[in-house]
Amino acid sequence: MDIIKTEDIVKDYILGKVKVRALNGVNLHIQKGEFVAIMGPSGSGKSTLMHILGCLDKPTAGEYYLDDILVSKMPKAALAAVRNRKIGFVFQSFNLLPHLNILKNVELPLMYGGMSRHKRLAKAREVLQNVGLGNRLKHKPNELSGGQRQRVAIARAIVNDPSILLADEPTGNLDSQSGGDILEIFKDLHSQGNTVIIVTHDQAIASRAERIIRIKDGKIVDGNSDS
Amino acid sequence: MAIPIAESLKLGIADILMRKVRSIVTVIGIILGVMCIMVVLAIVNGMNKSTMSWMEERGGLSKIEVEQNWQYDFSKGGDPSFTLKEIRYLQSLLPEAEAFNPSVQEWEAIITKGDIRYSTSLRGVMPDFVKVEQWDIAKGRFIKDMDIDLHSNVVVVGSTVAKEFFGNSEPLGQIMSIGNQQFTVVGVMSERFMQSQGGQIGMGDNALEYLNQRCFIPISTMISKVNPISKISSIDIRAKSPEEAKELRRKVENIVLNLKNGKRLFQVTSAKEQMDTMQANAKIMEAIFILIAVISLLVGGIVIMNIMLASIRERTREIGVRIAVGARSRDIFLQFLVQTILITSLGGVLGILFGFAILDKVGSYLQIEVLASVQMIWVALLVSIGVGLIFGVGPAIRASRLDPVIALREE
Repeated sequence: MDIIKTEDIVKDYILGKVKVRALNGVNLHIQKGEFVAIMGPSGSGKSTLMHILGCLDKPTAGEYYLDDILVSKMPKAALAAVRNRKIGFVFQSFNLLPHLNILKNVELPLMYGGMSRHKRLAKAREVLQNVGLGNRLKHKPNELSGGQRQRVAIARAIVNDPSILLADEPTGNLDSQSGGDILEIFKDLHSQGNTVIIVTHDQAIASRAERIIRIKDGKIVDGNSDS
Repeated sequence: MAIPIAESLKLGIADILMRKVRSIVTVIGIILGVMCIMVVLAIVNGMNKSTMSWMEERGGLSKIEVEQNWQYDFSKGGDPSFTLKEIRYLQSLLPEAEAFNPSVQEWEAIITKGDIRYSTSLRGVMPDFVKVEQWDIAKGRFIKDMDIDLHSNVVVVGSTVAKEFFGNSEPLGQIMSIGNQQFTVVGVMSERFMQSQGGQIGMGDNALEYLNQRCFIPISTMISKVNPISKISSIDIRAKSPEEAKELRRKVENIVLNLKNGKRLFQVTSAKEQMDTMQANAKIMEAIFILIAVISLLVGGIVIMNIMLASIRERTREIGVRIAVGARSRDIFLQFLVQTILITSLGGVLGILFGFAILDKVGSYLQIEVLASVQMIWVALLVSIGVGLIFGVGPAIRASRLDPVIALREE
């Protein structure tokens, strides 16, 4: 079953007076439970693709089905709900809220999901324990190492049990030791049945995935299951 | 699955606590604006109250006065006075009046008894005087109809006059001289008192002391014996209620006009209508003060709007993260709107506290009566919330419309 299916996705940007085509007909299929790396040089369109897959952006043309739901035509408010329930983001620069302790950071998606305070605290605590930070709940992000911060970000991404986990260069800001630890966590999550998509330009990281999708000049050039 | 207002409130409070100094600086404008509103309302309240009590002391809102019209052009002829006969006739036409009292005033009458000489304002009046002025007798009796008919030599003295002449001894039945006539004291008026406002020079603290220095004799005695050239040129009338006063005033005006062959020798005024005019004037004052308050609140609001915009720029990435994990535009909008309203309400509360603190000082500095009321607190609070609403909407909309892709890229 395809958890992600795109049909001829095109994305144009207007830069000043020039129209730039970032994606030029992307047909992508990712199965439920896969561990996929999306690779490409900078400017290839891989970030744009990730934003569309993450429902942060809408394609100019083409269709995107997530969990068999046509999300590319959804209104903004509905997309917020999709991001909240079906997508977990992990960013290169962690993107934790600096003034909140890590428990509150992880709680955030549950709050926007409308879960009661009591339940979401319990859930956030549990997930943080699973990534090995159960004893740091009241710490602020700047009191943690880079590797620990990325683990908090992963906890936040999975706390809502999303359909896909989207990681954008998740080890880019980490030393190789903690980068390796983070990749291990992704592998564990994958082995537990999660669908993991890592966007990277690093061959060594991409090779840890089951499948590598290569993208260049806005098109998939290799690795799609159909091609 | 909107996040409830309670969550937005919590977020807002947390944000304010995190940025304490900024929050305080932000609300200075609001504090000043709200203080201004408090002071204005208190001044207007106080003004209304002192106008009211002045009116009450002067005889209440049911009072109507017939006085010589000083604007009248005397080259057209006419005598601005009434004969006793005309007075009796006028009185018979006004059965609905609660009280009716013409008076003749002698500003500088000299009263003597033995060695004591006292210069006073002497009034020739009728029995209804006490009703018109709502002024009680402290001792003895007031002038009666019989005294008018008989042109009796009786006098009722003010409390200060009684003290000056008789000290602690019994004034009733004593004889005193006014002009070349001997008068018997038959009554003493009760003392009138009203705390004076500000520093009117030479008045002491009793704004009504001049009343206590007066003496009253029958109006007939006044014009026939004491001062034959004096004339009746003023009448005080009391209606049964302030509402009836307006109607009665018109009627009196018409009768007097007919009596004097259409010559406007007299003007007829009612306290109620004067009061209405005064309150209309007070409204203008109020409007000006409110305008000042509104301007300072506008400035305060613009400052807040700017600071919120800066804060949103600074927190762009945070907003991007919130959107990425599922916040809807509405959630972001509410978060910032609620925060702005919280800040302005905080300013409102501080403004109310500081406002109360300076009220008395403002009052004594301006030498006017200020009067606080609970209603002021509500007005001030609502206004500060309103400012938050008005100036918070713009920044909140901007935050809620941020493109998450761009927001997340922000450094």
